Amino acid sequence: MRPIPLRRLLPALIASSALVAAGCGSGGGSSSGAGGSEAPGGAKAGQGRQGGELTDLWASDVDHLDPGQAYYQSSINIERAVNRALYSFSPKDGTNAIPDLADGQPEISQDSKTITVHLRKGVRYAPPVNREVKAQDVKYAIERSFTTNVTGPYAGVYFAEVEGAPAKPVAISALKPFSGLQTPDDYTLVIKLTKPVAQRVAAALVMPITVPVPEDYARKFDAKSPTDYDQYTAFSGPYMVVNDPKTGEVTGHQQQQKIELVRNPNWVKSTDYRPAFLDKIHIQEGNTDQVVAARRTLSGDGLICCDSGQPPTTILRQALTRNKNQLGQTPGGGTRWVAMNTKIKPFDNLNLRKAVIAGFNRNELRRTRGGKIVGPIAQGYIPPGLPGFDESGGLEGFTDLDWMQNPDGDPALAKKYFDAAGKDGVPVSNGRYAGSQKLLMITTNAQPGLKTAQVAASEFERLGFKLDVRKVPQDVLYTKFCGVPKAEVAICPNVGWQKDFYDAQAMLQPTFDGNAILPSNNSNWSQLDDKKINDGIAAATTLGGAERDKAFADINRQIVEQAPAIPFIWDDQFQLEASNVQAVTNPYDGIWDLAFTSLK
Amino acid sequence: MSIGAANLLRGGDGPAEIEPTDAAEARIAARSPLELFLRRLRRDKVAMTALVFIVALVLVAILAPLIVKLVGAPGPQTRDPSTLDDFGIPVSGRGGGAFASGHPFGTDDIGRDVFSRTLYGARVSLEVAFIATTASVVVGVVLGMVAGYFRGWVDTLLSRIMDVQLAFPVLILAIGLGAACSLGNGCFGGLLKPGKAVVILVIALAQWPYMARIIRGQTLSLREKEFIEAARSIGASDRRIIFREILPNLIAPIIVYSTVLIPTNILFEAALSFLGVGVQEPTPSWGAMISEATDVFDVAWWFMLFPGLALLFTVLAFNLVGDGLQDALNPRGKK
Repeated sequence: MRPIPLRRLLPALIASSALVAAGCGSGGGSSSGAGGSEAPGGAKAGQGRQGGELTDLWASDVDHLDPGQAYYQSSINIERAVNRALYSFSPKDGTNAIPDLADGQPEISQDSKTITVHLRKGVRYAPPVNREVKAQDVKYAIERSFTTNVTGPYAGVYFAEVEGAPAKPVAISALKPFSGLQTPDDYTLVIKLTKPVAQRVAAALVMPITVPVPEDYARKFDAKSPTDYDQYTAFSGPYMVVNDPKTGEVTGHQQQQKIELVRNPNWVKSTDYRPAFLDKIHIQEGNTDQVVAARRTLSGDGLICCDSGQPPTTILRQALTRNKNQLGQTPGGGTRWVAMNTKIKPFDNLNLRKAVIAGFNRNELRRTRGGKIVGPIAQGYIPPGLPGFDESGGLEGFTDLDWMQNPDGDPALAKKYFDAAGKDGVPVSNGRYAGSQKLLMITTNAQPGLKTAQVAASEFERLGFKLDVRKVPQDVLYTKFCGVPKAEVAICPNVGWQKDFYDAQAMLQPTFDGNAILPSNNSNWSQLDDKKINDGIAAATTLGGAERDKAFADINRQIVEQAPAIPFIWDDQFQLEASNVQAVTNPYDGIWDLAFTSLK
Repeated sequence: MSIGAANLLRGGDGPAEIEPTDAAEARIAARSPLELFLRRLRRDKVAMTALVFIVALVLVAILAPLIVKLVGAPGPQTRDPSTLDDFGIPVSGRGGGAFASGHPFGTDDIGRDVFSRTLYGARVSLEVAFIATTASVVVGVVLGMVAGYFRGWVDTLLSRIMDVQLAFPVLILAIGLGAACSLGNGCFGGLLKPGKAVVILVIALAQWPYMARIIRGQTLSLREKEFIEAARSIGASDRRIIFREILPNLIAPIIVYSTVLIPTNILFEAALSFLGVGVQEPTPSWGAMISEATDVFDVAWWFMLFPGLALLFTVLAFNLVGDGLQDALNPRGKK
């Protein structure tokens, strides 16, 4: 899952129903929307003209090319073009993962403690490695993610139950082979688990942690801490980032400037479901003015834009009315919210948090991102289409929780909760907060998030809060402030989480499980640490089917009851393409799929 | 006042003002240098008009809350969502356009009143411009006088520092410093927090060498004058000579250059805010307003027009007053 605004892909994951025998209950069919299997112009994914060059306008950069470290949504976007995980999602279906490096569905044992995956033959690395991909490479890829040299973001969260995996990351020099990762031959990987969670682990095989890493080549880079493999990544996908064919040094990635993709000369088309039409793809970074980038795209040639960000509302309005055939729209599968830090006064008071939500005009927050056409008001944290959504009351949410009922804000109800907070010792006056301390709010400096932050700040001030508002770039917002508990940020108005797969755990665990609070890269921005919720998540993790959906819906409710944040939209994702481009969105992450996009 | 000071206020070393008749000369002789200066300034209708505008602007900035209340406009942070369409864009049909009742200048992209934000924006512009100008003038004058008076290694050291500073691309330096200090915890270990203080520091840092250069040149010339020799011969200390003899003679160039610096600094602040490294949200700033308006300019032109006009007329007014002051203080330089 990934924090929405910033393309960081996070831990997440869990089962795609095709991967797991049991599948998941509700919400099936969330897959593709307008841009799911078809390009905006109506072309089917998989059809296109061979050849040509494309320029993709991005605002920011990937965090890592190393699949073991890749975390941002944009990084995952690139990984899908230059690397192959065991399983992945085709643009035709964002719900059911299909075999990629694997040669068939995973075989899960009766006791749900063993997974067997067979690998495809004939998949070869790009230069300088050149050799065929083997199961041992996937084994090493998973193992290295548990080291302090790599610190893979998915390792501890979704693969902790692999037998022999260390409880905490260890230095690579102290890394011992996992007894739970066995390779009886070059094309078979057997995963043994300490708990019966094979369905969830099998689903997590879509994450880039399963992208093969050739130990014989990578070990010397991994010996450094942090690893240098990011600059020497071995590519196995249809494309590769330009590199030195002798040393493997990646020369086509200049941070915050560009990423140059060319064809992987060793890629064998018959081993892949991706068509890979284009010859070259230029990722042009630094397009922070998305209005300019969007206008360039709409009027230019050979361009697509806006990495994982949404076009500004003026552009969106224009595109929806005049350039609809250049707009890709995908059901978002994510939730955006304004996080209140429950560890910081006065947000440590539950009644005050409820008062804030009750008084907040969430409709106005939604309008900053384009209004109702972009998506419904969020009433919880499991978005439409995910298991547990219907069990959470669907679009209506939990109708008995009165502070969630009026998205325009209810001053009388807010006063009721402010008064209750007052009885707890919180300074309130006339239905408003009356404390004098300035609360630190960290906002993005780019639209449309900046507008959201402006409205949020205005709403907090209307409710009596005094703020110290600081604008930072979106990645800094996560890496230095909202994702770092020590920074003591009281309000983060530009956070959110988006599905990468088909399960509610990945929505709720990284974002509201107290056990998931990390000193850095923390995604529990509210720092909610409620024992009942933590225990509930731990218990629900091992469940399957309808029982699992119900359990996570209950956890969703408990989170909403704790009022740690102001959820305001379940939004679709929008992307733009030039008129001569036949871009295809992948509903897996809502971004253009570079390996399926072509020129007209 | 020292001899030199009076001399300079007459417009340098030459005679005060050439009048055609003896009677007129007698009347002039009876006027003080200040009266002469004011008389010349008053004759300059353009400068006087600009001065009136500036005074009015200062009053508007000070009385912004009262004016907003009198006009019946909402405060600068008050949002009126009813003026926005479903996409969150202000539209004329909903009272969000220019000259709408209740919103004389329309509303911005989150429904805030552009009129009141423009008025409050004047506070930021003037505050930053005056304080930053004062800071750069104080630093520039002191270091310029010290360099020019002492010459030798002191002059060499200070001049090289000025050279280095002048060699920096000022806007890039300002953006770099502004970015470092405006984001997150501020700079210098959190000593300098984001906001107006950062903008003032950045502008003062960028501008002082220009003032110092001018003052150094003037001081080099003044220190060779007879009245300085005289002061030195009767045992006056360096400090007394610098601050009591030389400084008063630098009043004219200081005033003139300050009036040039103020509009420059207003634009500087606007540029930094436009680029997102200036005054922080939600404080209204003309530069930030213009920046935010670029996204919706084609559908909500008023959001950019009014702060833009305010910026234009303010800078123009300061420049015209600066020209007028220069002409009045140095009539020989008048074309």
